[in-house]
Amino acid sequence: MTSGMRVVGGVLALAAIVGLGALSQVPYPPEPPAHAVIRLTWRTRSKRVDECRRLTTEEQAQLPAHMRREEVCEGRVLAYRLRVVLDGDTVADETVEPRGARADRPLYVFHEIPAPPGVRVLDVAFVREDSLRGATGGDEGTTGGDERATGGEDSAVREGRAGRVQETPAVLQFSERLELEPRQVALITYDPERRALVLKGYGQTP
Amino acid sequence: MTPFTDRTRRLAQSLLAPADGLMNRLYTWRFNPLYHSGAVVVVLLLIILVTGIYLLFFYRIGAPYASVERLADQWWLGSWMRSLHRYASDAAVVAVLIHMFRMFAQERSWGPRALAWVSGLVMLFVLFVSGWTGYVMVWDVQGLLLAREGARLLDLLPLFSEPIARTFVGERELPGAFFFLNLFLHVALPVGMGLGLWVHVSRVARAGLLPPRGLSWTVTGALLAMSVLWPAALGPAADLFRLPDTAPLDVFYSFWLPVSQAMPAWSVWLSSSAFSGVVLLVPWWARPALEARPAPSVVNERLCTGCTQCWVDCPYEAIAMVPRADAREERVARVDPALCVSCGICAGSCAPMGVGPPVRTGRDQLAAVRAFVSRNALDAQVVVVACTRGAGGVAASPEFQGAPVIPVDCAGSMHTSVVEYLVRSGAGGVLIVSCPPRDCWHREGPKWLEQRLYHDREAELKPRVDRRRVRLVYAGLGERATVRAALRTFQRDIGALEVARPEDRVELDIECERPAEEVLER
Repeated sequence: MTSGMRVVGGVLALAAIVGLGALSQVPYPPEPPAHAVIRLTWRTRSKRVDECRRLTTEEQAQLPAHMRREEVCEGRVLAYRLRVVLDGDTVADETVEPRGARADRPLYVFHEIPAPPGVRVLDVAFVREDSLRGATGGDEGTTGGDERATGGEDSAVREGRAGRVQETPAVLQFSERLELEPRQVALITYDPERRALVLKGYGQTP
Repeated sequence: MTPFTDRTRRLAQSLLAPADGLMNRLYTWRFNPLYHSGAVVVVLLLIILVTGIYLLFFYRIGAPYASVERLADQWWLGSWMRSLHRYASDAAVVAVLIHMFRMFAQERSWGPRALAWVSGLVMLFVLFVSGWTGYVMVWDVQGLLLAREGARLLDLLPLFSEPIARTFVGERELPGAFFFLNLFLHVALPVGMGLGLWVHVSRVARAGLLPPRGLSWTVTGALLAMSVLWPAALGPAADLFRLPDTAPLDVFYSFWLPVSQAMPAWSVWLSSSAFSGVVLLVPWWARPALEARPAPSVVNERLCTGCTQCWVDCPYEAIAMVPRADAREERVARVDPALCVSCGICAGSCAPMGVGPPVRTGRDQLAAVRAFVSRNALDAQVVVVACTRGAGGVAASPEFQGAPVIPVDCAGSMHTSVVEYLVRSGAGGVLIVSCPPRDCWHREGPKWLEQRLYHDREAELKPRVDRRRVRLVYAGLGERATVRAALRTFQRDIGALEVARPEDRVELDIECERPAEEVLER
C-alpha cells in the first residue's frame, strides 16, 4: 500500500468516526418554536348504573324454570362529555367513554392543545351524561325501563370504603385566564381531594 | 426471484462491489471493515458491555439525570466511558446494517441461512429497544421525547390497563419503578442477545466472531479517541412542564422519532410492521425460483472412503459421518440437504471426488476441464480460473486480456486435479482468482483452497505440479484492475520460465479411490 493510500485511508476513517459523532447528536427541534401547550389530563371513575327491564310472560316462558326471574338488569358506566373552549373557539368537543373491553374501566382524558403565548381564556366542561340529560330535560337513554342508580356504584362505593377517593362530581368545570409563556406547558388535571379541575405547571416539576 | 428482486439485488451488488474495492485498496482485504462488519459488531458489543458495567455503578434510579450528569462532568473517566458506550452503540447499528446489506446483496440470506437472517433481524430489534431504554434512562429531553412517543405508540396496543402515556404528563411524580424497569430491560435485553448470537451462528462451522486483532484495536482506539476529544452531548434535563428548545437526537436510535411524531399511532404501527415484514421475509421473497436453486451436495457412497475431510471442511456443518449400510467398516459422509447451501466446497475437499453438488463434483469438474482443453489450444499461455461471484467479474466472459477463463462457482469448490490437468496439458500457468477470504460467499473457500494448493491439505495439489506455474490471487467483484495487474505480472513471470509442454497423455491418479471391482467384491 502506498503512503498516499495510507493517508486517504486515515482521512476516510477520521471522516467516518467524526460523521458517527455528528449523527449521534443532531440538534432536533421537536416542537415548532415559541408556542405553548395546554395539557388536559386526568383519570376518573364514573357512576355505574343498572338498567333493568321487566320480562314479559312470554319471555319468561322461554327460559328454563330455574333461570326465570322478573327482571333483567344490565350495568354500565356512564360516559362524560368534554368540551374545551379556548379564546371562544371550541377546540375539543367529545364523549369520553369508559375504557376496557366491557367499558367498565375508568375514563381517561388526554389532550394537548397548542396555544400561542400570551393571555388565553380557557373554559373546560366535563359533564356526566346523566347530567347532560337532566340539563336537556330528556330521559331518552332508558327506553321503557327504569333506571336504578346503585348508590355511587361499584367504584365510588368501593373507593369510598377505602376512604381515599370520593365519587367524581357529575359536572366539572374550569374557567381561567392563563398567561402562557413560550414553550410552557399548562397542565389541567383533576384533583380528587378538591374534587375539581385544577391548574398545575408553570415551570415547576411535580 | 422476480425481475424486481433481481434488479434490487443487482443494484445492491453494484453499490457493494466498488465500496469493497475501495476499502481493499485503502486498508487491504485483511482489514477491510466491510468484510468484517458482522465480527465488528461483536467487538462493539464487548465495548458496550465493559463500559456499561462501569456506568452501572454510578447510575441512580432515584436521580437518573443527576447521576448521568455527574458522570458527564467526570472528564477523566466517566465522561469518556459514557461517550464510548454511546458511540460504540451507534457504530453497532451501522455495522449491523452493513452486514445485513452485504448478506442481501450476496444472496446469503435464504435457504439454510434464513435462520441467521431472521435471528440477526431479531437482534437488531433488540439492539434498538435496548438503545431506546438506554436513552430513556438518561432522562434528558431526548429521553423524554422517546418515552412519550413510545408510550403513545404502545397505548394503541391492548396491553396496559391504563394508558401509559399518562406517566409522562406531569400529573404525578414519575415513579422510580419506571427507571428500574428501564434499567432492567437495558441490562436484560443485551444478555438475551448472547443467546441470539448463538442462534445466529449455529448453522456455521468455525464462526469468525472476532475480526483481526488490528482491526479490533483500531475500531476501539478510534471510538475511544472520539470519546475523549468529543464527548457525547447530554441534553437538558427532561422537564414535563416545558417543551424542549432542541434535543440532541441520536440519529442511529431515534431516526424514527421525527417521522413518527408527525403520524397517527396506527399508521406508525402499520408502516413499521409492513416494513419489518418485508425485511423479515427477505429469505422467502428474495430467494431464487425453485428450478433455479442450486441442488445440495450428494455423496457417492461407493467412492466415499470415510476420510472425514468433507465433514471437516464443510463451512455449514451440513455433513455428518454415519455408519455405512454396506459391509465396509469405515463411516460414510451424509449431507443434510436442509443445511447444505450448495457451496461445493466438499467437492474440492474430496480426494476420490465422491461428493459435491450434482454436475459440480470433482469428476464433473475434471470432465469439464478435459472438454475445455480439447476446445482451446493452450499453447503455453496462462489460463485464468475465476470465481463467478468475485474475481473482478472476469468469469463472466470466456477470456480476459487474451487469457482463456474457466469460471468456477467458488474457488474453494475447485478440485486441485483441475489445476494439475491444466498444467500437465500445456498451460503456461494457472492463475486462480478467488474472492478475498473474508469476502467468500461460501465463507471458507479461499482458505481451504490456499491450504490445498500450498500446505498439503486434502485434496492437495500433487507435488509433481510445478508451483511456479500456479498462482492464487484474491480479488473482489469490483477489483477488475487487480486481476488485470495480477495477470500481467503472472504472464511476465511465466514468460521467464521454460515453455510449457503438454504431456502426451495426462493420467491423474485419484488418491484413495477404490476400484469398482474391489468394492463389488466386498
